[in-house]
Amino acid sequence: MTLRALDFILGGPQGGGLETSSQILTWAFARAGYGVISDREYFSNIRGRHSYVHAEVSATGLPRALRYPIHLLGAMDAETVFTHFGDLAPGSYLVYDTGEEGKVYESIPSIEPELKARLRAAFREAGLDGTLGSLVKYLSASRRVVPVGLHYASVLSEAQKEVGIAASQASRYVSAILVGAVAGLTGLGDGPVSYGLSRRFPKKELYEPNRYVAGAVASYVKSKFGAPLALEASSIGQRELLVASGNDVSAMAKIVGGLRFQSYYPITPAADESFTLEEYESLHLDGFDSEVVVLQTEDELAAINAAVGAALAGARSATATSGPGFDLMVEGLGWAGMNEVPVVVTYYQRGGPSTGQPTRGAQSDLLSSVFASHGEYPRIVIASGDHEEVFRDAIEALNYAERYQMPVIHLVDKFLANTIASIPMPDLSSIRIDRGKLVGEAAGAGGYKRFDFSSPISPRAFLGQAVMWYTGDEHDEWGHITEDPESRVKIMEKRMRKLEIADSEIPEEARASYYGPERADFLLVGWGFVKGAALAALEDLSAEGLRGAYLHVRMFSPYPSRLVSRILAGFEPDRVIDVEHNYTAQAASLLAMNTGFRIRRSVLKFTGRPMYADELARAVKSVLSGSEREVLSYGA
Amino acid sequence: MARRPSPSDYRSDVWNDWCPGCGNFGIVAAMYQALAELNADPKATVVVSGIGCSGKIPHFLSVSGVHTLHGRAIPFATGIKLANPGLNVIVNGGDGDLLGIGAGHFVALGRRNIDITVIMHDNQVYGLTKGQASPTLPRGIRTKALPMPNLQDPVNPVALAIASGYTFVARGYSSRVKHLKDLIKAAVEHRGAAFIDVLQPCVTYNDVFTYDYYDKRVYALEESGWDPDVRDESDAARKAAEAYAKAFEWGDRIPIGVFYRNAHVPSFEDRIAGRLPGYLKVPPAAEPVDSGGAPLMDADAFRKAFSKYIVEIGEG
Repeated sequence: MTLRALDFILGGPQGGGLETSSQILTWAFARAGYGVISDREYFSNIRGRHSYVHAEVSATGLPRALRYPIHLLGAMDAETVFTHFGDLAPGSYLVYDTGEEGKVYESIPSIEPELKARLRAAFREAGLDGTLGSLVKYLSASRRVVPVGLHYASVLSEAQKEVGIAASQASRYVSAILVGAVAGLTGLGDGPVSYGLSRRFPKKELYEPNRYVAGAVASYVKSKFGAPLALEASSIGQRELLVASGNDVSAMAKIVGGLRFQSYYPITPAADESFTLEEYESLHLDGFDSEVVVLQTEDELAAINAAVGAALAGARSATATSGPGFDLMVEGLGWAGMNEVPVVVTYYQRGGPSTGQPTRGAQSDLLSSVFASHGEYPRIVIASGDHEEVFRDAIEALNYAERYQMPVIHLVDKFLANTIASIPMPDLSSIRIDRGKLVGEAAGAGGYKRFDFSSPISPRAFLGQAVMWYTGDEHDEWGHITEDPESRVKIMEKRMRKLEIADSEIPEEARASYYGPERADFLLVGWGFVKGAALAALEDLSAEGLRGAYLHVRMFSPYPSRLVSRILAGFEPDRVIDVEHNYTAQAASLLAMNTGFRIRRSVLKFTGRPMYADELARAVKSVLSGSEREVLSYGA
Repeated sequence: MARRPSPSDYRSDVWNDWCPGCGNFGIVAAMYQALAELNADPKATVVVSGIGCSGKIPHFLSVSGVHTLHGRAIPFATGIKLANPGLNVIVNGGDGDLLGIGAGHFVALGRRNIDITVIMHDNQVYGLTKGQASPTLPRGIRTKALPMPNLQDPVNPVALAIASGYTFVARGYSSRVKHLKDLIKAAVEHRGAAFIDVLQPCVTYNDVFTYDYYDKRVYALEESGWDPDVRDESDAARKAAEAYAKAFEWGDRIPIGVFYRNAHVPSFEDRIAGRLPGYLKVPPAAEPVDSGGAPLMDADAFRKAFSKYIVEIGEG
């Protein structure tokens, strides 16, 4: 029997080659025509702590969510098995190093004390002695897990003899063992695996030994187990796929969107975007030229304010950050609001408050994005739900900023940032670039009023094109300070009315999307990365006869109040369920504020791990049978 | 402009509300004169300021002005200059602004050596908030608004600028307007990060460092035979060390003039141009981003540029 979708986890110490295995397999599965999504979970640590990649491969679509239990666990070390054995489905496969069978969880220093306490309880109950070997035996006997034991050291010493890798380098090939084991169990062909390996290792001297190790392991596993996790033939029907993380998709989109300046201060999980931009800072292809100044600043205060300065000079300008950095940017953002500056902040949410969970995901900065500031100014807040939305929104953010002359916050989150997904190639012919009202050099004649009152959106000239003034103080049309009460009313109204114009011009359908049958029995309301899990959970629920729909909110300022109200009107109030990655149901608060509709039921998760389709489906059932608040916690 | 501009051409119509006798008047007068003598294009000249009395200076000038946030004038100026290196960007900030709340940016500008001039209004107090001690007020001094003498040691602005990598470091005195004007001109003409520490009495809150105090003490470095210039690149460290030591001369005699000038360090703009070949010809502010509303990048260019992320589905 073949699978329609496969969920697997690869785990190992941070910095131990896990990303290499995952990258190669992602490319290989995509090459074979399958849809892939793969989430990377890691500690705030450079080397040694446990990290893992959870991937779903689908033969029928481009997956947007992950599920438990998993079909396959590939473990680089004993800690991976101790951490994830509970994730294994009955009949699933466990690839592990038989050389580690004697390892005892108590003596592994990187396992956190809380997990050790849970393991102690579980092992006591199962009557195990604390070794990896006893755990594997138990999983095989009591949970129908199929152990795929390989002696990693022997595999590598064999390879040393065959292809002459140096003994000191042998540990670098553990990643190839996992690649081979996954390929063998899933029956992934030699072609796609070689393709993945050759992309990762363009140099022959690295490719060959990796190819050897992966190939040897794959044929051994195949001969012994016979590809039990083979996927059915792909029915996705794409000729090519874009396979990238959310960070990378955002960077690519910004280049397509004409970004010319990005400043940033290093912070997880935002910094990768700026790295990618820097990699592509200078593109000169036939008929296409793009140069982007990427400036690493001394702090986030400088990052936002340099981005604002560049925007005043006329560059399409942005910065990218995460919670702690955004907090520092708030004053600068207010200056941009006051001075009607088109600047984009790409905001990668992670767990807070304070340093919080630097490498874990969250959606707990929504209210901060919408309200952060002293005083009042208009801003646009967009939130992306998947990689395709990230692409489109990153470009629209630049457009909205210039069209409405205000800061735009583009909310992404760590889940999207670090998750690698396969998506269709973007359709560039449907993309528009909108720079708004520009007057250029013509502004100079007779004196230029940067904040001309004749319309809420004043014609914009860049520094260098006319003499103009800006100030963070309240100002007149010229940009000079005034404390006159009547002028204050005029300019406040001018600034704030721009948001009403944006509200009237941006179609509400672009700001909220409804997924589901015309008449559904319940409605999930969510945003951001919840989208994938919500749609997958609805599919699972509909197989059980529960007809639900999903309302995906994509813009929080200006809020699509009319459309959202209309959709909510079709549901019984207690059949509407808010789904978010935070404690306080922030999007439900904004929804209430904008529509007057108070959502009373919620499914929330704030462990820093993504929502999984299966746990969400279960929670929705609990809510439908009366629970008001379900808090999810699955995932290591 | 056909005729040579005069200083008054650079004066705006906005009423100047600094206290009568404020040391800042000397600075703005020197600015008017320097801009006139430089024949500065008002459109292409951008004065960026922070917060406080000094922060208002852009409004008194008829060139473009960006009055920013407390401490952040340098980052704004950095973005403006890097987006359009053709602009002449001059920062005016107070001592609290540049060396207190904005000290990190002050250091960073030196490291980058961006072609920006920074003029610091150094009066040792926070004037607009009624006379608190600023980062340049010496320890033990009690200016008139302070309830108690200052507990904190001052930072030496000239020494900090040298240590940070500014390639033009000078000190002026607001009462010596012509001397200050010449410093501003030299700073603007220097290609790289230029810093002028301007001693500037606050007539309302600083009753210690007054006009009288400085008039008796300041002397011009150039008249004492001081040579600020790094003539050979290999001499930069020695010259910087000498200038650094000179920066601590304070008391009966206070030097003003150029302490240190090094034309051998590449500006940040040149460093960027080393990576972005079109940068100085078509800067970010002028580089097109669309073609009639369509993105410049088409599917072919996308494929070529981002081939690393594209997987063609196939057998091998």
